[in-house]
Amino acid sequence: MKTTLLLTAFLVIVVAPAALARVKLVALPERARVVVSLTHPDATLIEEERIIALQKGVNKVDFSWRGVNIDGTSIQIRALTNPDKVIVLNTSYPPNENALIWEINSPAAQEERVRISYLLTGLTRDIVYKAIAEPDEKSLALRNYLRLRNESGEDLTEAELGIGYGAAFKKSIAHEEVLEMLSERIDSLPIRKLLTWDAATLPWDPEYEKKTVGIPLSYVITNSASSKLGRHTLLPGKVRIFIKTREQPVRDGEAPGDGVAFTGEDWAQLTPVDREMKLYIGQSRDVKVTQRRTKDERLNIRRNNSQQEVVWDKDEVYKIEIENFKKTIVDLVVVEHVPGYWKMVENSHTKEFRKKDAFTFEYHLALPAESTGTKKTTVTFELNRLNVQGNNELSTY
Amino acid sequence: MRPFKTVRDNAAAWVLLGLFVALPAGARINVVTLPGRDSVQLTIYNSADITLVKETRALTFRKGLNKLEFSWANTLIDPTSVEFKPLTHADAVDLLDVSFPPRVSNTLEWRIQSDFAGEVIVEIRYFTSGIGWDAGYVAEAARDEKAMTLAGSVRVTNHSGEDYENAQIRLVVGVIRLVEDILALAQQGQVAAQAGMPAATPAPVLMRAAKEESRTRMLGVDALMADKQKEIIKEGVSEYFLYTVEGRDTIPNGWAKRLPSFKTPEVPITSYYKFERERWNDQVMRYYRFTNSEPSKLGREPLPDGDVKAFRFITDDSLYAFVGRSAVKYIPVNESVEMELGADREVIVKPTLMNWNKTDLSFDNNGNVKGWTTRETWEFEVQNSKDIDVMLDIRRNFSGDWSLVTDAVYDKVDANKVKFVFPLKSREQRKFAYELTVKHGTNATR
Amino acid sequence: MTLLVLVLGLQGAQGRINVVTLPGRDTVQLTIYNSVDLTLVKETRVLTFRKGLNRLEFSWANTLIDPTSVEFKALNHADAVEVLDVSFPPRAGNTLEWRIQSEFAGEVTVEIRYFTSGIKWAADYVAEAARTEKNMTLSGQVRVTNNSGEDYENAQVRLLVGTVRLVEEIAKLARESERLDRDHPANRPMTEMLATNAVLRARFTATAGAFSDEWEKRAEIVKESLGEYFLFTVEGRDTIANGWSKSLPSFRTPGIPLTSYYKFEKERWQNSVIRFYRFTNSEPSNLGREPLPDGDVKAFRLSSADSLLSFVGRTAVKYIPIQESVELDLGPDLEVMVTPVLMNWTKVDLNFDGNGNMNGWTTVEEWEFDVQNGKDIDVMVDIRRNFSGDWSLVSVAPYEKVDASKVKFIVPLNSRARQKFAYELKVKHGINAIR
Repeated sequence: MKTTLLLTAFLVIVVAPAALARVKLVALPERARVVVSLTHPDATLIEEERIIALQKGVNKVDFSWRGVNIDGTSIQIRALTNPDKVIVLNTSYPPNENALIWEINSPAAQEERVRISYLLTGLTRDIVYKAIAEPDEKSLALRNYLRLRNESGEDLTEAELGIGYGAAFKKSIAHEEVLEMLSERIDSLPIRKLLTWDAATLPWDPEYEKKTVGIPLSYVITNSASSKLGRHTLLPGKVRIFIKTREQPVRDGEAPGDGVAFTGEDWAQLTPVDREMKLYIGQSRDVKVTQRRTKDERLNIRRNNSQQEVVWDKDEVYKIEIENFKKTIVDLVVVEHVPGYWKMVENSHTKEFRKKDAFTFEYHLALPAESTGTKKTTVTFELNRLNVQGNNELSTY
Repeated sequence: MRPFKTVRDNAAAWVLLGLFVALPAGARINVVTLPGRDSVQLTIYNSADITLVKETRALTFRKGLNKLEFSWANTLIDPTSVEFKPLTHADAVDLLDVSFPPRVSNTLEWRIQSDFAGEVIVEIRYFTSGIGWDAGYVAEAARDEKAMTLAGSVRVTNHSGEDYENAQIRLVVGVIRLVEDILALAQQGQVAAQAGMPAATPAPVLMRAAKEESRTRMLGVDALMADKQKEIIKEGVSEYFLYTVEGRDTIPNGWAKRLPSFKTPEVPITSYYKFERERWNDQVMRYYRFTNSEPSKLGREPLPDGDVKAFRFITDDSLYAFVGRSAVKYIPVNESVEMELGADREVIVKPTLMNWNKTDLSFDNNGNVKGWTTRETWEFEVQNSKDIDVMLDIRRNFSGDWSLVTDAVYDKVDANKVKFVFPLKSREQRKFAYELTVKHGTNATR
Repeated sequence: MTLLVLVLGLQGAQGRINVVTLPGRDTVQLTIYNSVDLTLVKETRVLTFRKGLNRLEFSWANTLIDPTSVEFKALNHADAVEVLDVSFPPRAGNTLEWRIQSEFAGEVTVEIRYFTSGIKWAADYVAEAARTEKNMTLSGQVRVTNNSGEDYENAQVRLLVGTVRLVEEIAKLARESERLDRDHPANRPMTEMLATNAVLRARFTATAGAFSDEWEKRAEIVKESLGEYFLFTVEGRDTIANGWSKSLPSFRTPGIPLTSYYKFEKERWQNSVIRFYRFTNSEPSNLGREPLPDGDVKAFRLSSADSLLSFVGRTAVKYIPIQESVELDLGPDLEVMVTPVLMNWTKVDLNFDGNGNMNGWTTVEEWEFDVQNGKDIDVMVDIRRNFSGDWSLVSVAPYEKVDASKVKFIVPLNSRARQKFAYELKVKHGINAIR
């Protein structure tokens, strides 16, 4: 404990000011309670309660800290036992010292429980998620850990830790200690598994690639009651996902045990209630997407008097061939980007088509198991891009 | 009976202390046990420098609060990954929290409340860096290059700082995503603050440790196979494939070990040749093409990406010729794949522009040319000087308002690419031609 | 700082100098400005004059007093006491000497006034919002910091809020009069202990209007203009030793109505939604008795039945006049989300000039806004959009035109509610534009 609280009984003693050295006197009341609020991502609030013996009249209470990263301007004191009668008159800050002196007026000699609060830097928290998925990848068991890191200079004893949800903790944590504790555990949490092929970021023709093209694999968790969540915002932190595996017996004749394999990790973004958390954890190489533009023609070219092309339309046909080499159905989202003013003319998969915004659309496809070769999925669409005018056509917004 | 027992005398210090704290007032701490590992399992990834280690140990708990210290100096363990799980008496053993004590590197302490006194089997799991594996293949083509024998092996390399003895080895084929480097996390020694959310999505990291061949001593195939080859059991998990090596292996720090995975004869292949000026200039590239499928005697599992050495039998008594060294992509089941074997001068493709003209000029009001059309006549001479039949794949790329006239059979690959694919018998020569018309300026209508 | 009365005996050529008295201060009053580094010190002392010429020496080594500002005034027997001149003796730094002709022998109470730099004050606020964020308790404090080099004991403290323009900085004037080798007072070791005998709780009484004191009118002349200001007088007497600062509670007002207000404006904050606490300094809001000086605010929210707090954020607040509504900027809040999506974009109505070049076109944008409140309290969301050119808007959602090129949509959202609205923006370009 490196903060100290000194209580100086100060009765109506009139002393010549020059004669008063800064004397620190009287007892060091122990903390009766320490509460750590970790709800703010950048600032940790400490509220500690102490019982101090007040004399009748003006009391001087000296609070000082050395080697502790307290924000001195944030320190407040509140009387809890007699909040209306015990009054803080003023606060003095001595030069070149991490200290302050409260003058507290008490109507009687009495014990008073006071709550001192301050912002402490260096006591920070990380949120860590670990999950174990079922082999069918339809659900997982999620564990949410609070990892507290104390670089504040202060040792905290039996502190009540609050992050705004989950288990309530009462823990001791020394300076420079890191403490990890389980705050929530949710079993059988439903997930959706998705592959996402984005035409803007992945190669169109895998044949021309040196390595097998990996298609990003994501698990999607919905922060809602139907997913056994939805009670609070999910805070950002690292998510590590494992999957259950069937173990090979260690010795002949033994029954195979349960095991896990690691399937990848991602940073979880802050996810409010009813929103989705999409975790990109790895790549699938058992689905092959080949996209080709099979028609790329200009129509209706309008030229100026110097015969320069001013504006035209385009007729474009795209063919996406998708092979699923897996023995299971795969959900694949194909993302396409078309800038400018365009209209869809032909579309082989209208039911799977979703327009996301003016320049983006998606196909949400369920690829049949082992749909390769002649059984592959083929999506074609034809679009007309209208009034194309060089490269600056989008400069108006 | 391990031939490599003296490899490391400076072994990583593994300390697992069961500490008992007398619950009332409790400053009396007793070191109860210092148990060794009962079993170890390594799950090794090849797309990133990460290995999941699972070990079991038998600990003796007392009723009440038990403190268990785990430390791992001189290893590459990620401290944020260490997990504890009781396998027996799980209902009676409750993990309260994990503490990384101040000013002590590479140590953590579990505080465990136990309602059971006695021996408990616990599982400890963590990630380490420095262990990797890769796949290697040897393709032995028949003399006619119509079939091959394909043999696969895996090589495990341990630079983790830790000897793993009698470990069950599992290899994961797949690309997992890591948002932080395990090696960096391990080298911090302590649990560092999370870096936060990077704006850009980093690409999956590629394995590093296993490439340090110079420092790695190789355990020959002979050394590991005491009596029989170990079977590798293969299982699909999510988007990955899990290979479990039968039995137990010991891979000391600094060593590599190769394990044969499969050997399949009579895999049908096609000797396939490609020509595409935009990729390889005037060279003709050679490929062995095969399919990872059951009709091809394969197809039981995907084949991991790896290095291939290709040979061809040139005599009846199985003398070899080295064909090429190449890399093969990851091959899903039922996918066909091409092993690139480099340029081959015995198959020749020679395109010649035989004729060029410019016609259909049109002019604007100032008398300047505003539209024209070019016409090119191309002649292709192809020749197979090899003693085997091959397939040839010739690709041509065009742009603008183009059209093609030819008697030869071709496929339109996309709006601006065509391909001519045909077989060429041994010693065969052939010619074909096409006429390309491109409309320019106001002549262009598309 | 010393004051010496030197009595000149006979008016001979060589002055025989006697030290007569060393009087202490009787009263001190500090008027501290917060907009500039300026404090007016007014002190009274009782001196004993003799009839004839009296020389009074005033010196102030190791302080930040502006030597040009020191003034002398007799408060009684004023008709009999006349200042002949003031001299700044050669080779004596930080000293002046008044030559005073007195027709009276005996005790005279004099007032000495001067400006010093190095004393400042600042306001600090703590806002404690209720869990619902529908109301709050606001408490204010002022913190006075004394780095002037001088201990002011038992001083009456007055704080001036408002903007004062100084022609020359006091600190600069004080420095110019100093010797080069002098230590800065801020670096001096603390010599004296805080002495407190003001038992009364400090309270502020606000006085509106101009200083009545003629002397202070002089200050007006020095500063050219002394605009609108507010004067706070701290009840009782305080001692603020050099190097110390002191915080004095000013007010604590519960039940101030509060709006949890969120703003989205891409041009200012990109995709962030910024959280504000909004309240009014008015009587219906239990405030409005005085303006609130600018200062730092720390905002908390009550998070438990036993009044535990959680930290919301900190910000600076500008001077808040009476009746003014104020917004405390508490930074981005990720739990309120505004997602604008351009759902459709078309370019139509092409026009061409005589040369066949395009000279007019019109774009139509369909925007869809998804607004979600992930919090467990009700909020207001203020979404602003900026347009330019010949634009027109078609929207079922109500909106308000802020100016010629800005509109705002105000969306109240209950706890955990989500709402969508859309508008169509048409912009005419080139010759299509008619305005």
